[in-house]
Amino acid sequence: MDFYYGMAQLIGVHTLLGLSAYVVLLTGQVSMAQAGFFAIGAYLGGMLTVLAGWHIVPAMLLAAAASAVVATIVGFPALRVKGLMLVVATLAFGEAVRIFWFNFDYQIAKGNIQVGPLGGEGFKQIRYFPENGWSTGEVAIFIWVWVVIVMAAIWWMDRSRVGSVLRAVGEDELAAQSVGINLTAVKVSAMTIGGFIAGLGGGIYAHYTTHIEHLNFGVILATFAIAYPILGGLSSVIGVLIAVIFIQGFLVEVLRFMGDWRNLLFGALIVLAMNVRPDGLFDARATRTIRRLFGRQDA
Amino acid sequence: MSDFWWEVIDPIQSVLDGMMFGSIYALIGIGFTLIFGVMHKINLAYAAASIGGAYASLAAFQVLDAPAIVVFLCAAAASGVIGYLVYICCFRFIPTAMPLATLMSSVGMLILIDEVVVHATAGMPEPYPAMFDDVMIDLEPFWIRGDLLMIFALSVIAMGILLYILYRTRLGIATRAVAQQPSAAQLCGIGQQNTNAVTFIITGALGGLAGAMVGASVGILSPLLALPLTVKGLIVTVIGGLGSIPGAIVAGLLVGGFENVFQYFRGVTERDIYVMLLLFVFLTFRPQGLFGRISSRD
Amino acid sequence: MLELRNLSKHFGGVKAVDDLTLTVNEGEIFGLIGPNGSGKSTTVNLICGVFPTTSGAVLFEGRDITDAPSHRVVAAGITRTFQNIRLFGDLTVWQNLWVSQNSAAERGKGWFGRWLGGDRVGRGDAEDLLKFAGLEHRSGELARNLAFGEQRRLEMARALAAQPRLLLLDEPAAGMNAEEVSQLAARIKALRKYGMTILLVEHVMELVMGVTDRIAVLNFGQKIAEGAPAEIRENPAVRTAYLGTADA
Repeated sequence: MDFYYGMAQLIGVHTLLGLSAYVVLLTGQVSMAQAGFFAIGAYLGGMLTVLAGWHIVPAMLLAAAASAVVATIVGFPALRVKGLMLVVATLAFGEAVRIFWFNFDYQIAKGNIQVGPLGGEGFKQIRYFPENGWSTGEVAIFIWVWVVIVMAAIWWMDRSRVGSVLRAVGEDELAAQSVGINLTAVKVSAMTIGGFIAGLGGGIYAHYTTHIEHLNFGVILATFAIAYPILGGLSSVIGVLIAVIFIQGFLVEVLRFMGDWRNLLFGALIVLAMNVRPDGLFDARATRTIRRLFGRQDA
Repeated sequence: MSDFWWEVIDPIQSVLDGMMFGSIYALIGIGFTLIFGVMHKINLAYAAASIGGAYASLAAFQVLDAPAIVVFLCAAAASGVIGYLVYICCFRFIPTAMPLATLMSSVGMLILIDEVVVHATAGMPEPYPAMFDDVMIDLEPFWIRGDLLMIFALSVIAMGILLYILYRTRLGIATRAVAQQPSAAQLCGIGQQNTNAVTFIITGALGGLAGAMVGASVGILSPLLALPLTVKGLIVTVIGGLGSIPGAIVAGLLVGGFENVFQYFRGVTERDIYVMLLLFVFLTFRPQGLFGRISSRD
Repeated sequence: MLELRNLSKHFGGVKAVDDLTLTVNEGEIFGLIGPNGSGKSTTVNLICGVFPTTSGAVLFEGRDITDAPSHRVVAAGITRTFQNIRLFGDLTVWQNLWVSQNSAAERGKGWFGRWLGGDRVGRGDAEDLLKFAGLEHRSGELARNLAFGEQRRLEMARALAAQPRLLLLDEPAAGMNAEEVSQLAARIKALRKYGMTILLVEHVMELVMGVTDRIAVLNFGQKIAEGAPAEIRENPAVRTAYLGTADA
């Protein structure tokens, strides 16, 4: 049973990461900075519970808010660049955040051991869940409550005018401006929301793995973050969830018997998937087909 | 000599060393920038393919015991082939109007190449041959490492050959025509697909040489080299100005010198933060890069 | 209502718009014509803040809006269409209108309902415009799936959804057949009845001559004539520069 709980935890956290990239991608910005925001949430969240002794919920919310503030600050200069330049700029930002934590030490004594982030050694002993007697199942449920809240919020946003405005900006910035949309406000807001969600995911991640280090938050994680919405297709939040289940659940867990070969297979499958379905596995047409299927069942 | 002079010798020395190593970044930057110029696409698998080519040339080193210069040329040839495969797998059949799809497919290719290397070598670093690594040229008060000088010289030769191809041959003129006016070039009978493929092969060979140079200067090859080389190459491309070859060259040397001097002052764990800062300074004050036009922003 | 004062835009050595001065009065339909490359579209882009002016000023209802960002120009009461249609192809027809509802009246509605209200809110507001554009039966279709003429009509409806007082139409008849042009003319005249001021940049002469009150003629970025359609038709300078070659 613990195996399934562990998988549920992993899928939940990665869904949050994917959703954070989804919001930013809707405005046409390919952000490789999501892993950086995720790292900020993870380290700050962990420090608040371990070093300051906070309850996990306020700790996560404050860490996510801090990520959001950083994302806002990143959002303004990011406005000046588009396309490939933005990819490189956000990639460099994410790496800078990682290297910052690589060089960051802040330890205090707790009982007879030292706790807190310690540079390349990482941040060990984030033991909020075991110390407070949470079972693996309870942690999984806790994570999924957050995932459901965030997904529902973005689902709603997608169907409101905000969703259309974000997509309009993503499709044609000049046309969006000329119908009165403030590009700066929209793009920076999307970055801020994305930063908040990534920070939230990071805060959860730090607590369920209990040990984080800078290598967890590298380019590969940033690639995963944008891979989920791109593979899932940008037509719905459900696509992100399906892509995460496909990659983390199917490729990583079910193919565990393949050992190290599954990473190779992962690379090959992405190449194949993009050749066969350049719009994502779960594009607008697929969404409509599935809706029709459900419609028929009802009738 | 005065005390001040002694203080600055070591930093200057590290800038010189870094700039010679930076010629590798320049090669990778040229590769990114050329592919961007021709296709307006980013090939994220490029640096991984370069390292992959260097790995392939290990066969010539380990099995045939070929001299270092032959091994380097094998790396270039192997990377040219990998470059063509990358084009076929990640760009050829995906509609050009879908930038996200090609971005993602080239990331998939990056992972794939890296993993193939990991499996072929069981993840262990492999020794790579160098040339003149026992030579030390003494230019009082500085000295020049023979292997770095060799890297610099080979890079300069490779750039010279590339510029000759681009500006003096029919092939190069066709390539530049496609980069500037794809549809007009097509009307003149220049096949866009062929030109794209040739660009991937040429840049692949250039990258293979860069990968070999990395191996030669570090002394070993490791799959872990691919990602940092990708990041540095992209930074060089952006600082130089997208699509600008002279820009990539200057930016490569700049980044190489810059990172090495910060390694001297702040240590290897912190140096990359300063390279990122350099990039942010450029993005804020000169987003078009050193030699780029404003119009290349999107 | 709209006043351009000595407006200039130079691209390198090319003077796309050169010392242009003109006034559009409230309630009139003003035509801006000229041969290809005479600076008509550049003028529209300068008014809308797409790129910065080299010199000169743009005034709207007495306020200086020179080099204001595009969304501020819309907030001031000016919207536009594009020569090469720029719809949001992956949004539905009514969502295209919904996105455009940025008028002052909309802003008064309160943040929550305006941004996070569901489908129904947007659809209701868009219905009148859809009828005007003859697209009420296509409301749920993706904009990219519309026929060419329908896309033109949707783009005009989208510009109107922001409730402008001045509408800039950039070659709205380009690529249309004779019947579509006459429908467009009828639509433009209907807008005038609602009190809309229109700046019509156009190539198709029967449309310009048929619906405008006054016309300015551009050549090489400079205004070479201005007056009522009948005067322009007889103007010898215009005939040589433009009508003579276009044979209208």
